[in-house]
Amino acid sequence: MQQLNKRMHNTLITIAGLAMLVFSAFAFAGEKPSFAPKVPHPTNGSTECVQPEDEMKKNHMNYILHQRDQTMHQGIRTKTYSLKECINCHVPENSEVRFGDDKHFCSSCHNFAAVSIDCFQCHMDRPMKGKGTQGKNPHTAQATPTADKTTISTDIADTSKSVQDTKEAGNE
Amino acid sequence: MSNSDVNISRRSFVEKSATAAAALTIAPGMFLHTVAEAKPADQAVSSAVRWGMLIDTAKCASGCTACVSACNTENGIASHDRPRTDQQWIRKVTLRDKQTKHEISLPMLCQHCEKPPCVDVCPTGASFKRDDGIVLVDRHICIGCRYCMMACPYKARSFAHETVDATVDHQPRGKGTVESCTMCVHRVDEGGTPACVEACSEAEHGAMIFGDIKNPDSEISKQLLKHGGKQIRADLGLNTGVRYRGI
Ligand code: SF4
Ligand code: SF4
Repeated sequence: MQQLNKRMHNTLITIAGLAMLVFSAFAFAGEKPSFAPKVPHPTNGSTECVQPEDEMKKNHMNYILHQRDQTMHQGIRTKTYSLKECINCHVPENSEVRFGDDKHFCSSCHNFAAVSIDCFQCHMDRPMKGKGTQGKNPHTAQATPTADKTTISTDIADTSKSVQDTKEAGNE
Repeated sequence: MSNSDVNISRRSFVEKSATAAAALTIAPGMFLHTVAEAKPADQAVSSAVRWGMLIDTAKCASGCTACVSACNTENGIASHDRPRTDQQWIRKVTLRDKQTKHEISLPMLCQHCEKPPCVDVCPTGASFKRDDGIVLVDRHICIGCRYCMMACPYKARSFAHETVDATVDHQPRGKGTVESCTMCVHRVDEGGTPACVEACSEAEHGAMIFGDIKNPDSEISKQLLKHGGKQIRADLGLNTGVRYRGI
């Protein structure tokens, strides 16, 4: 009885091994496995990302996260690893495709990998390319500095006491 | 430390700003300039600068809400027709003296305190002050507890109660986080002016001046030197970056 069991066991292992061999032969037959999502390429015709494709596939989130903190806290606004530039490059302008749609650059992979991200609860999922702000008017009336020491002595009074009644105009 | 101490390490800034481009406002809404000197994009902001505003209440027209509309447009703030909970980064306030009935009108916004209570109370570090004095909420880490809203003496902060349908890409805003005036940090970092200040100038009131209060040669510093600029609730000792004339 024990002998029979052992033989059956061996046979099973052999069958499993054969099956794996056959399966992997199929898997390697094509250049790309057919189930991988199709990721939209840059809209400007460029074929190179800011890092090699493999690196971006694995580590894009780290680049973006690092840039996020630098921009937020230190005002560093370089474009290389900015999320806005990912969108500007990979999502066509005036695109109707929104995040969540399989055709959207970010969703194409994230939907497939079932990784849910919340970037686009706040960030734009399509390019704006500067629409919405002019923002370039200068604010400083600067002459060549002459003195290197001036004292600003502002008259600081307790204004709370002079304010007796307030009314507020609401937000528009 | 004195409340009006805005001049720390000015010397180092003066040295750096020797090459700053000349830019001059010649008339409301008109800017005469050669090049807008912006900090290089890869350079971190520095404490040699402190951004501030000076608001002249004598020039601020009652009934005018140009600054409020400009802010809403610039930052994609839309009303849900629920005034009690709608987000509001800047609002017009009318102060009336009960005795004399004299009224003044002024815009109220985040005062960009040097010692901001909102930062003190924030349990996550989301509320923070940049080296150049601009107080911001890092909405990536804000948990929406709203402690900062309670701590702010100026009612400057709002909570996003509802899903925001983004209309601008320079100011990501979203439900469940607190937000307030950023002094248009996205513009400032590129050498620009906050939208409200620009709108006030375009409306030919010119009641708001924006600039570096640590640089003695900036327009705002000259005006502060000449006329002074009061803090609202100076008794709190927060050393606000937004100062007012005529209150
Ligand atoms: S005005 Fe309010 S929100 Fe702005 S820095 Fe001061 S305490 Fe913070
Ligand atoms: S609401 Fe956000 S920014 Fe305000 S105190 Fe809480 S975590 Fe900090």
